[in-house]
Amino acid sequence: MGEGTPVVCLHGLLLGSVASWYFTVAPALADAHEVWMVDLRGHGRSGRPATGYDLGTLRGDLVEVLDALGLSGPVDLVGHSYGALVALTFAMAHPERVGRLVLVELPLPGDQATPLEVLGLEGVAPGASSDELVGMLPADLKAAVLGGGRRARRLLEGLRALTEDTTLLADVSGEPALDEATVRAVSQPTLLVYGEDSACRGSGEQLHAWLANSTHQLLPGGHFLPAQSPQPLAEAIAGFLHG
Amino acid sequence: MSREQTLRTLAGFIAEVLDDELDDDLDIDEDTSFSDDLELESIEFVALAELVQSHYGDHVDFVGWISNLELDAIIGLSVGDVVDFIERSVEAG
Repeated sequence: MGEGTPVVCLHGLLLGSVASWYFTVAPALADAHEVWMVDLRGHGRSGRPATGYDLGTLRGDLVEVLDALGLSGPVDLVGHSYGALVALTFAMAHPERVGRLVLVELPLPGDQATPLEVLGLEGVAPGASSDELVGMLPADLKAAVLGGGRRARRLLEGLRALTEDTTLLADVSGEPALDEATVRAVSQPTLLVYGEDSACRGSGEQLHAWLANSTHQLLPGGHFLPAQSPQPLAEAIAGFLHG
Repeated sequence: MSREQTLRTLAGFIAEVLDDELDDDLDIDEDTSFSDDLELESIEFVALAELVQSHYGDHVDFVGWISNLELDAIIGLSVGDVVDFIERSVEAG
């Protein structure tokens, strides 16, 4: 979408897809950027392999996507939640390929609120019941699911398949804490955006302390900012990337 | 281009997005609701937008239009609302 310097958007796990960005943030960026949105493995219209939901494998997927798109020069990466972790660690592993970083609601592994806690999945084991899966959903989606129908059925099917048929939960909970010195070495201009009511605000404050070249911003909402605060989020990201 | 033609085009795109999941008993008309009747998932709505955008080109800024609607308005969208928008844009373009 759009024309200009390339921006690649990475969604969060389980509930995310290119739709997290498509009608929310991407149109505001498309005035000045060529916006690419990626469905991570297992999500949206990408295939759902049984394994490979760890950060290393997802970074490898991103390398393949960027190569396939012919994006060999630096791109700006925008990530939400686990997608933001992919973006940050991608910048750590391939600094020459990243221009700027926008990290929305990045949950630091090993922080007080682990990625699973942030997703409300701490108690959800592989093979979780549909009641448990519904219990973790944000309020608007929970209402939709409890209302039944095709969309609810497909959402639950997707969640059940990701949590039962793949190693996603184990991969996410197995991620070690990031190495502070390696994070500190990230020199790209970075925007950190967190929800005022989010459980992972602490991660944002920690990252702000580690990243010398970072700006930290709080927006109304919780963890699911692209859905909860689309307009303010779009303005914050566009302001940072256009500036 | 007639309004009826636009409706048929849109109905064709919806059928393509829903693939074989479209209820045989459901005729898509202007009153059909994307949310209540079709129960389109967000990712399917993206696929629909891509089809509309590539078919009509840049002067029908479907994505820009949707992104400026409030969530309640998006949830309440009917096929007729989108036909209206396409017709308006085509005339203006």
